[in-house]
Amino acid sequence: MNILEIENITKSFGSNNVLKGISLNVKKGEVVAIIGASGGGKSTLLRCATTLETIDSGSIKICDDVLCSTDESGKVNYCDKKQLVDIRSKFGLVFQNYNLFPHFSVRRNITEALIHVHKMDKSKADKICDNLLKKMGLSEKGDSYPCNLSGGQQQRVSIARALATSPEILFFDEPTSALDPELTQGVLQVIKGLSEEKMTMVIVTHEMNFARDVADRVIFIDEGVIVEEGPAKEVIDNPKHPRTQKFLSKY
Amino acid sequence: MYLAITMGNIKSAVTQLGVGLGLTLTIFILTLLFSMPLGLVVAKARLSKNKILSSVIRAYISVMRGTPLMLQLLIVYYLPYYVFGISLRSMSLGSINYRYIATVIGFTLNYAAYFAEIFRGGIQSMPQGQYEAAQLLGFSKTQTFIRIILPQVVKRVLPSITNEVITLVKDTSLAQILSVNEMFFAASALASSQVSVMPFVIAGVFYYCANAVIEFAMNRIEKKMSYYN
Ligand SMILES: Nc1ncnc2c1ncn2[C@@H]1O[C@H](COP(=O)(O)OP(=O)(O)O)[C@@H](O)[C@H]1O
Ligand SMILES: [Mg+2]
Repeated sequence: MNILEIENITKSFGSNNVLKGISLNVKKGEVVAIIGASGGGKSTLLRCATTLETIDSGSIKICDDVLCSTDESGKVNYCDKKQLVDIRSKFGLVFQNYNLFPHFSVRRNITEALIHVHKMDKSKADKICDNLLKKMGLSEKGDSYPCNLSGGQQQRVSIARALATSPEILFFDEPTSALDPELTQGVLQVIKGLSEEKMTMVIVTHEMNFARDVADRVIFIDEGVIVEEGPAKEVIDNPKHPRTQKFLSKY
Repeated sequence: MYLAITMGNIKSAVTQLGVGLGLTLTIFILTLLFSMPLGLVVAKARLSKNKILSSVIRAYISVMRGTPLMLQLLIVYYLPYYVFGISLRSMSLGSINYRYIATVIGFTLNYAAYFAEIFRGGIQSMPQGQYEAAQLLGFSKTQTFIRIILPQVVKRVLPSITNEVITLVKDTSLAQILSVNEMFFAASALASSQVSVMPFVIAGVFYYCANAVIEFAMNRIEKKMSYYN
């Protein structure tokens, strides 16, 4: 079963054609790594899939719910507001710079949406939060504020926050790029742990060893198109396309 | 010139200025109470995507900041009579003379414009990522503003708010233009009857004390909000 179905989407900013017809299906339990040079459109692709940007043409389905599609006349139709809320509850996004709420404790960062969006009891939300913190190795940090945590800890909190509402799929946009090298491992370990639990994930990353190790499939995006894709080991160890070879030679 | 600085004069000045101080503080508190929420609404309207609304608000702010507050008080006071022909007597609320109401309306309209610009700056300084994270977690626009954005904005704008609040304490003296018997008005009256500058000095001490208290309180609030950065 496909959790995510992206079909032939395009996206421009003014005259800058950033996505030039990208299709991507992700099956339940699959981990897909997206690699590619900066400016190639990886973030834009994730932002389109997560409703932060609107597409110019194509279609996106999440868990068989149509987020947007293009009719014969070429007009893009987005689902209504109510469906949008529903679809948004099915995925989570982990940002490169965490985007935690600085005025909330770690616990409130994780439980606020459960309590005030999903109308869950505080005690139940706290239980979910405790479990997630334990999983992230942050059991002691529930009462801390983001500014008192290391970057790696903040990113793990943001992963916990995204997981709290039990999404079907999790998107990561360069989750370790803002971190000092010695802090990346903790975050990558957490993501690896999620893959072992068969969490469906799409991860934009520059960590090639991690991608080879954890992803089922790797997609190489350059200048708004998918240049090459295939099983992680094959693409990273034996890239076929010259552009992929050139990109990977830098790692 | 004979300066009547006697203990008796000082004592009566303090008592009479105390009454004026009460009125000064009333104007101050009511103005804050109305102008802060109004300022927030004005800031939101100023940032509205509706071009007409935001231009109207921009003009309002520009006029409020570009003309003397004293003139604005006069206009609020005389407008009902000179433009609409309504008798000023009929504008009073029970035993409260319209001059007091006009004072509070005038101050509120003026300070709301200043607060609005402060709030607007604070709102615009918020990183887009906060909105995006909130949106994806399912928070509605209102929830996002109230729970995520506003508390952070308040922290950011607090020092500028303190500035305005302190200015407001001193600006209340402008209400004398409507013969409102606030502290400065009372001081002027006393000064001429006692032929002494002492009432002004005492009034100055009162203004300063009020602002010292405000400074202290605002510092406490700022400290309280410094649990994160
Ligand atoms: N909001 C935006 N407005 C204008 N141009 C944008 C915007 N977001 C991204 N772009 C442009 O789109 C291109 C792809 O950017 P991005 O998707 O961030 O690439 P990547 O994540 O692969 O580095 C870049 O040329 C960037 O300047
Ligand atoms: Mg990017």
